Amino acid sequence: MIEYKPTICPYCSCGCGLFLVIDDGKIIGQEPWYEHPINEGTNCPKGRNAYHFLYSKDRLTTPLIRKGGKLVESTWDEALDLIASKLKGVEPSEFGLLASGKNTNEDAYVLQKFTRTVMKTNNVEYCGRLCHSSTAAGLGPTVGSGVMPISQFDLEKVDCFFLAGINIHETFPMMTKRIIRAKKKGAKVIVLDPRKTLTVKEIGDIHLQLKPGTDISVVNALMKIILEEGIENKEFIETRTTGIGELKKHLATMELEELVKVSGVPLDSLRKAAHLFANAETGSVLYNQGFNQHIMGSSNIKALATLALITGQYGKPGSGLSPTRGQINGEGTGDMGCLNVFYPGFKKVGTGAVKKFEELWGVENLPDTPGLPYTKIVQSTKYLWIVGTNPMMAAPDVSNVQKALQDKEFLVVQDIFSNATTELADVVLPAATWVEREGIHAYVDRRVQKINKLIDPPGEAKPDWWVVVQVAERMGHKDKFDFSAPAEILEEIRRVVPPYKGITYDRLEKNIGGIQWPCPTEEHPGTATFFIEKFNTPDGMGHLQVIESQQSAELPDKEYPYILSSGRSIFHYHTGSMTRRTPKLEAEIDEAFCQVNPEDATREQIQKGDKIILTTRRGSIETEVRVTNQVPKGMLFVPFHFSEASVNRLTNPVLDPTCAMPEYKVCAVKMEVVK
Amino acid sequence: MSENMYIAWSTDESIFERAENGGAVTSILTYALKTKKVDGVVTLQAVNGNRYSGVPVLVTDPKELIGTAGSLHCSSSNIPRFVKEYLGGGASMKLAVVGKPCDIRGIIELQKREQVNIDNLTLIGLNCTGTISPAIAKEMFAKEFKVNPDDVIREDFDDNKMIITLKDGTTKSKSLKTLEEKGYGRRENCRRCEFNIPTYADIACGKWGAEDKKGSFIQTCSDKGKALVEGARQKDFIKVEKPDKASIQLRKNKDEAAIKLAKKWSEITLAPIRKLDLAERQEYWMSEFSKCIKCYGCRDACPICYCSNCILDADRGYIECGIIPPNALFPITRLAHVGDSCIGCGQCEDACPMEIPLARLFAVLHSELSEVFDYTPGIDVEERPPLASAMDSEMLIDDIFLDIASIKAREK
Repeated sequence: MIEYKPTICPYCSCGCGLFLVIDDGKIIGQEPWYEHPINEGTNCPKGRNAYHFLYSKDRLTTPLIRKGGKLVESTWDEALDLIASKLKGVEPSEFGLLASGKNTNEDAYVLQKFTRTVMKTNNVEYCGRLCHSSTAAGLGPTVGSGVMPISQFDLEKVDCFFLAGINIHETFPMMTKRIIRAKKKGAKVIVLDPRKTLTVKEIGDIHLQLKPGTDISVVNALMKIILEEGIENKEFIETRTTGIGELKKHLATMELEELVKVSGVPLDSLRKAAHLFANAETGSVLYNQGFNQHIMGSSNIKALATLALITGQYGKPGSGLSPTRGQINGEGTGDMGCLNVFYPGFKKVGTGAVKKFEELWGVENLPDTPGLPYTKIVQSTKYLWIVGTNPMMAAPDVSNVQKALQDKEFLVVQDIFSNATTELADVVLPAATWVEREGIHAYVDRRVQKINKLIDPPGEAKPDWWVVVQVAERMGHKDKFDFSAPAEILEEIRRVVPPYKGITYDRLEKNIGGIQWPCPTEEHPGTATFFIEKFNTPDGMGHLQVIESQQSAELPDKEYPYILSSGRSIFHYHTGSMTRRTPKLEAEIDEAFCQVNPEDATREQIQKGDKIILTTRRGSIETEVRVTNQVPKGMLFVPFHFSEASVNRLTNPVLDPTCAMPEYKVCAVKMEVVK
Repeated sequence: MSENMYIAWSTDESIFERAENGGAVTSILTYALKTKKVDGVVTLQAVNGNRYSGVPVLVTDPKELIGTAGSLHCSSSNIPRFVKEYLGGGASMKLAVVGKPCDIRGIIELQKREQVNIDNLTLIGLNCTGTISPAIAKEMFAKEFKVNPDDVIREDFDDNKMIITLKDGTTKSKSLKTLEEKGYGRRENCRRCEFNIPTYADIACGKWGAEDKKGSFIQTCSDKGKALVEGARQKDFIKVEKPDKASIQLRKNKDEAAIKLAKKWSEITLAPIRKLDLAERQEYWMSEFSKCIKCYGCRDACPICYCSNCILDADRGYIECGIIPPNALFPITRLAHVGDSCIGCGQCEDACPMEIPLARLFAVLHSELSEVFDYTPGIDVEERPPLASAMDSEMLIDDIFLDIASIKAREK
């Protein structure tokens, strides 16, 4: 019998609804779900082609174990027994686990609980480290919380958008829709981006086209203009912030001309942007990787949050700094504590959290010191369990990742497809995904929605939580992992993570569009806007930050004369494991390309379609040229979805010291034409 | 005239109670299924009882029909697509297809393109003066009617009013004009729609003319339709009486009033575009088209588009692949391919994530084309789409700025 079954898109974190058309247990199509409030029946190219990857012929369907150097088919029992026996007796510091932004919250919760209660280490991380760790580090000291402080719906109420390092037109089209609605009512859009992206072209009013890595100079210039011209929000500064004196003193030491020179942004554009943002009734800042993924990413964010604070653009619907997490559970996996420094509910690793969770979980000797961050887990643990993430494409400097993974004593990888990471594993476990299992996700604006199981997983693939429970049981911890269904895990989550207390499957079934946490009781409607009365800092105030300019770690020189940056295309998603198995998306773009400015192309005597080799100090890739004014002179851009020309063979693994964010967005590169 | 008209009620008490206008339609469908006149019924059903998420369903068990009784104004269903895409166009089973006028017209256009097997379909048309987008409806109920949207159990449009019925049995009404001027109310294409009584279906059913009798006014429009209603009557699934002149006149008056209102809305909504000169129009549309993110939502939602190997597909080489916005040939090709047959259902605009006013685009063009070709899509299976049946004289036209009046004069 043919049925239309509602579900939520598996791609970015907007959380759009769609109907899957299911006939006899198989998905045969998809249709618009007009009632869903996020997208009202519309979808982007990825969302319109949401399910095809599930049926790709190369899904992992049985556990594989490496025998005689080769991965051979095995049984779940054999694989689970092997994992349990290998992990028994392993020193806490030797073990690490990488979770995923595509786990359900239930999966993520048991993954971190296993790492902490069974393996006794905080070496548990997920890909959030690689996209928004600078957010937590930047917003924590400034406003006390690193989550999106608003609801997507309220973007329609904004009259000035500040888009920093986000090509929102391609990466979050459903938010662009709301920006377009706001623009119809007169809103203006400022875009801070070295590239003249489609966002700049389609919705931008002012383009602050900075030199890559000079964000702080731009933001300091904007603040200097605002404070010098007296258009700051004095009442807000007075009543809700601290540190204005130091900030003014700091900015007074700078010359606008110098900031203009460093950033390359004309003073006139800076002035216009400063006035628009400061004078807006509701100013909203949306930012993403272009702003985060620098060695000074956390400082960038502190500076930008300070700009929002001195203009009073915080604490009302639609306003403030909104990090735009890129995965369906980019928020939730962090909420559940798959971070080296946080127990569930963002309880900072330390004696307080440890005591609390020892009590809640009925265990002893929980680890009380921070674990290693993502890239360090990859590099320095001996026993590594990877769930739904592919560091062989997602981490910077892939050649070094490869060495590290090859050297592992024992590597378990749980995924839906084979990839460069599974190829190095000792055990590969087939995972059920999306509508093959049930569970909740927290989407970009803390919007919790539920995915129902609509079809069976292929072969013997299993949900991630199930695997953890099986291993924990074999290691003698059944009592703490006595879960037979995700619903039981959610009950425990509700007990130990207060912001989720009021969220139940039953409520999510009825509340189309989900519930935004914090939701402390079952009667609570959820929380759309943060900071209305006070910030989440200990004193409730917004802390203005004094930020010095810093330089990117690796800038062009004679040998490597260009700046390389990476990002996304609208037609593909992250490491491409899903979209590149989707025929209609692959028909749009089926290989990597490099954007080259026409002037550089002329000088290098290359044209559209030419093959070039890009080389950095870490490696090289071959790719095709697209000549376009989307990139400025001296900059090259390569999307990161394509394994055969993975841009992360080139990127610089140097980290932001405060949050371990790699500097993906700036490194020095040279290009040579393939003759 | 009244030969083919009935006022009808269900004889089944539970259906009579549950349905809105006497349950005759549900009982006729029950008759069709039980007596194997059809293998299945295609209709709209609320997902888990949620009236803001109505979806097409195929019902084969007559007992399940009662769950589909009543109308869902806040779900703009796409019945033709369901029949074409997921039921093989009725090629292998006999179906009774229930739909709004635009659903019925979509199916008739698909028949002209041989995408459905109309011999296997019995078309049950329901009167309609418009649907509301669910997001708009919920906001309107909360903000304008000041009720919890979940408490609404029925919506209706009558005498320029929007009337809602709540769980507790109370009703609330507001001026439709006021609501629509605020941006609430019916979808824009519905406001422009002049097709209220689907007499091109096998039977056309609605409340107009039967309101005071709490029954359904049914007009049979084909032999198939007549046989169905007569069969249901003879087997005692429905009871009927003949409408009197006053009822027939009332129905006609309501239809005329709705058409008049639709014409007015056409003028209001299309005027901003019509008043632009050609260069301005081009600029306007090009700037709208540049928002396109190439999701193909418009094409896929179009009940008339059907090619399995579409020229717009990325691998056809017609529109450069991997580039957004796509060349304006993308929307213009769609316009050229289906513009002559557009039934104004608005599905393309509903599906557009960038809110390009596609229904308006088609409406402007279509209003001019239908005058040129003297063609109304979706009402007569025998009438071929103009682009598929150009006359010799039309093929000789070499002036792209058509002087419609002189062409018409020549034709005569």
